[in-house]
Amino acid sequence: MPVEIPKDSWPGSVNTVTLGATGDQGGSRTSTVTIGGEQSLPFMHFENPTPHRPVIAMEVAAARPADWSAVLLEAWGSTLDDPAVWARACEDAGADLIVLQFGLKGSDDGPVSAEFAVEVVKEVMDSTGLPLVVLGPGQAEIDNSILVPIADATKGERIVLGLCEEGNYRTIVAAAMANDHLVLGKTPMDVNLAKQLNILMTDMGLPLDRIVMDPTTGALGYGIEYGYSVMERLRLAALQGDAMTQLPMLVTPGVETWKTKESKVGAGIPDEWGEWAERGVNWETLTAVALIEAGADVVVLRHPQSLVRVRAAIAELTASETA
Amino acid sequence: MSRYIATRAIRGANALVGEAEAMLEQALSEKGPDTPVAFPNTAYHLPVIFGMTGKEIAHLGELPEILVQARSLLHPTPSREHWTPYLGETLDSGMATLLAAETIEAIRYVYGLQPESMPGFELAGGTSFTSPDMNGGGNQPPNGHLNGAIDDIQLRSWGIQLVDGRMPGFAAIVGCASSNEAAVQIVRELQRRNILCFLSGNVNGHSIIDQLHEEGVELGYDTYTVPFGTDTISAIYALGFATRSALTFGGLKGGQPREILNYNKDRVFAFVLALGEVDDLKYSAAAGAINFGFPVIADTVIPQILPTGITTYEHVVSMPWNEIDGANDTEKAERLVQKCIEVRGVKVRVANVPVPVPYGSAFEGEVVRKADMRAEFGGRDSRCFEYLKMAKLDELTDGKIEVIGRGLSDVPDQGSMDMAILIEVAGRQMEQDFEPVLERQIHYFVNGASGIQHIGQRDITWIRLSTKAAEAGFDMEHFGKILHARFHSDFGAIVDKVQVTIITEPEEVEARLEEARAAYDFRNKRLADLTDTAVDEFYSCTLCQSFAPNHVCIVSPERLGLCGAYNWLDCKASFSINPTGPNQPIKLGRIIDPVRGYWEGTNAYARIGSHGVVEEVAMYSIMENPMTACGCFECIMMLIPEANGVMVVSREDTSMTPAGMTFSTLAGMAGGGIQTPGVMGVGKYYLISPKFISADGGFKRVVWMSSVLKDGMAEELKMVAEREGDAELIDRVADERSVTTVEELLPWLEENGHPALTMDPII
Ligand code: SF4
Ligand code: SF4
Repeated sequence: MPVEIPKDSWPGSVNTVTLGATGDQGGSRTSTVTIGGEQSLPFMHFENPTPHRPVIAMEVAAARPADWSAVLLEAWGSTLDDPAVWARACEDAGADLIVLQFGLKGSDDGPVSAEFAVEVVKEVMDSTGLPLVVLGPGQAEIDNSILVPIADATKGERIVLGLCEEGNYRTIVAAAMANDHLVLGKTPMDVNLAKQLNILMTDMGLPLDRIVMDPTTGALGYGIEYGYSVMERLRLAALQGDAMTQLPMLVTPGVETWKTKESKVGAGIPDEWGEWAERGVNWETLTAVALIEAGADVVVLRHPQSLVRVRAAIAELTASETA
Repeated sequence: MSRYIATRAIRGANALVGEAEAMLEQALSEKGPDTPVAFPNTAYHLPVIFGMTGKEIAHLGELPEILVQARSLLHPTPSREHWTPYLGETLDSGMATLLAAETIEAIRYVYGLQPESMPGFELAGGTSFTSPDMNGGGNQPPNGHLNGAIDDIQLRSWGIQLVDGRMPGFAAIVGCASSNEAAVQIVRELQRRNILCFLSGNVNGHSIIDQLHEEGVELGYDTYTVPFGTDTISAIYALGFATRSALTFGGLKGGQPREILNYNKDRVFAFVLALGEVDDLKYSAAAGAINFGFPVIADTVIPQILPTGITTYEHVVSMPWNEIDGANDTEKAERLVQKCIEVRGVKVRVANVPVPVPYGSAFEGEVVRKADMRAEFGGRDSRCFEYLKMAKLDELTDGKIEVIGRGLSDVPDQGSMDMAILIEVAGRQMEQDFEPVLERQIHYFVNGASGIQHIGQRDITWIRLSTKAAEAGFDMEHFGKILHARFHSDFGAIVDKVQVTIITEPEEVEARLEEARAAYDFRNKRLADLTDTAVDEFYSCTLCQSFAPNHVCIVSPERLGLCGAYNWLDCKASFSINPTGPNQPIKLGRIIDPVRGYWEGTNAYARIGSHGVVEEVAMYSIMENPMTACGCFECIMMLIPEANGVMVVSREDTSMTPAGMTFSTLAGMAGGGIQTPGVMGVGKYYLISPKFISADGGFKRVVWMSSVLKDGMAEELKMVAEREGDAELIDRVADERSVTTVEELLPWLEENGHPALTMDPII
């Protein structure tokens, strides 16, 4: 018996946002990445085709990370000592984007400085042609102190600057506007706060096609359901036509999962937990795929093997579309 | 618009355009049309011309068309006979002046006459430029001249601070102060507030730049005071700076004059401070600034233009220096700068709370025990009250804190003293209705200081100060410092000035208490009069949607939020402070059912706010479309069908209820944002509202309520009983002390003659 699949038709759609600029476009990237544009819930391709597949960004720390799981340290080896080499390795591994993450420390364990930050960004841009997301440590003042000079030094590159939060959005948005960059607005797992920040950012004149939002999420087993539900509601509202929710979403399953005990601890745990590295990669992959199902447009990962697996999952989810 | 100002501005503009034309003609013949023209180190060409016309001027030969445009904006001076509103003509003249002034400066750059030379002058940081005619050369700002136009690098650094609010605004100071001392004090007052100063102009050949230079004040980028030039024309650089801010940070393009001017009006908090006599050219330049939404404040007698229109508030304000109240130049300067801030609506931020003890919300719950106490105010042995009232802007001096009476050192250890805390606030957006909303914050603000405990409000305030805090240097004035800082930082959107008076002198406390009590009474009456029918807007609250995504709280004057924390006035104030925040007005529109409480507006909001889950909300019924709840209700109400009424359980009551469930079990049924007829979460003060389930019969339906409610609201409930026409009513309501099952309830109600038993069936 033929089954009629009911189809939803939505009045709204997600904004299309292009990250990075090539030489012709005023930047220096060898490729750009376009995300968003969805007119249906994720992978409902029988309603509307997925205009742009979810993309995978790899996280590169500006200074060797002190608190990363041994599994990650082993996977990346000495590349971790040099963000430029690391970023190149990510590109070679098949990443679509690089997320360059600054911490509170700069070179030689001193506090992160504007000079250090600008230099690292330049080195990374020299070594990879991928578009960049540059994130500060998430403390408004420090984020401002490095992101503004970075923005000035990379005018025209359409870098995504973050974090842009309630406490510093004016500064980050102004820096992005003055230098043709994009921003990543981050709010703590709440639909209304996400909307409010989007209103405030666009009020300053930043066009919607230059904003990506991070609604904040948790790892599998550590609050993913809250993050998932917020993303789902944002996406539903977007499709219903609420302009302030129609932003593509970037989420960070890498950060979230690699701080869980399951991924971080290798000793003194039950045998049933299985092999450590495999467990960590699974945790990251499963979290990432779940978030993609919730509507993520960009997932930021840490382990090269997760990249391969999430890539495969995306291919599978979009297989019938391309068939 | 004053005809006087119009006349002079138009005359000034005519003269300046003529002057520019003559200069240009001469330059063209001497230097040729292909001579490059540019301001140093900028990508924005001649910025005002670029912004207003979109023309990217690069050569002398392109300037004539700009002056043609400037000339086309000129008007004849108004005739004596015909009185027409001159605003349009005046603004046009202002714009013509700006185009001409920028043309003149561009030509002067060609001749090496800009930046203006001033032998012996050293810039403390400034635009670097390379000109063969100037000394030094290279990339260091050479000495012996003023700054001229600001370069792009500095624009970026300052512009971003202006946009993100670290820098509140800039002052374009034009002319010459009444004395060197006054000049220094005015600039100091501006610097103290982080307001950027652009200096230009002169009066009879003497400029504020000379004055500051003579007094040894360092001028330049490093000190946030930029000397543009000693004539009025150089003030054009201030507007070039403003134009470039809009282009850089507002995402605007050259040739979008309207957008650029609006951007400046809305986001760049700049003003013109005209010092000394105002001549025609200054009037016309001022008219140019008004185009940008920048008001003009003069320290001399000039006609004022008070109504708002192009600027946010007044256009032109006169505050003659010799009439300013103040013992010395410092005080006068302070008043003048205050006025400027007020007229432009510059928001000043107070970064931290200047008290000698740690401060933060972490200290809010601190208790000061008698043994650790240095002194107390209020409580058993003394009187203490706090009263906040609104005043007019010009009645207050922001930051003024006065202590009248004894200080802490006069109080014996562990002793007590009378105290009154009087707070006066003023602001353009302040309303009298916000007084109680702000006054209630005193409790949190004062409690934030480590070693201070604050209990109660109004005339039952009780404050304790610990020995440790006193030893750290905390004294009476610090209460004022806390309040000044916090009201600015938390309520800056509605409060522009805060002045605090602390009174410890007993007779004065007594006298002021009378006044405060009269105000408390007035507010109580106002609240009583503030009924749902007296307003045309309710407020939404979406704070709890993070937990219960489809829950909608509609807050009306007679029904506060179910958490008890937000009443209608709170929501109204919250909306004024944060217009994109969680409290939005709901226009009521047509009333659909006054009994159950349906309006078109509330229903429409219910649908939107609940994302389509809730279709309608009855404001006054528990039986039909009751309001949803998240989980933080102060009380849960539930239908007891057997008793033909409802019970009300307090969050603080852990005992069994006649419904066979405790509060925590009931909470599961009432919460989650779902409409369940017969179950509802409410704020406890809703119980005493005349609109309390009025569609279902009102308070007489309450057959059982937790004793904590009865005891805690005894006074209020007594009034409800009287209103309902049965003074014994509360005694007829059962509580957990007498009844814990529905079986016990009915006989008890009969015995006590509860009215619900004889009312119409509730179902
Ligand atoms: S319960 Fe209170 S805080 Fe929550 S939405 Fe309602 S009024 Fe707002
Ligand atoms: S239960 Fe409390 S925290 Fe929870 S949603 Fe309601 S008011 Fe807010």
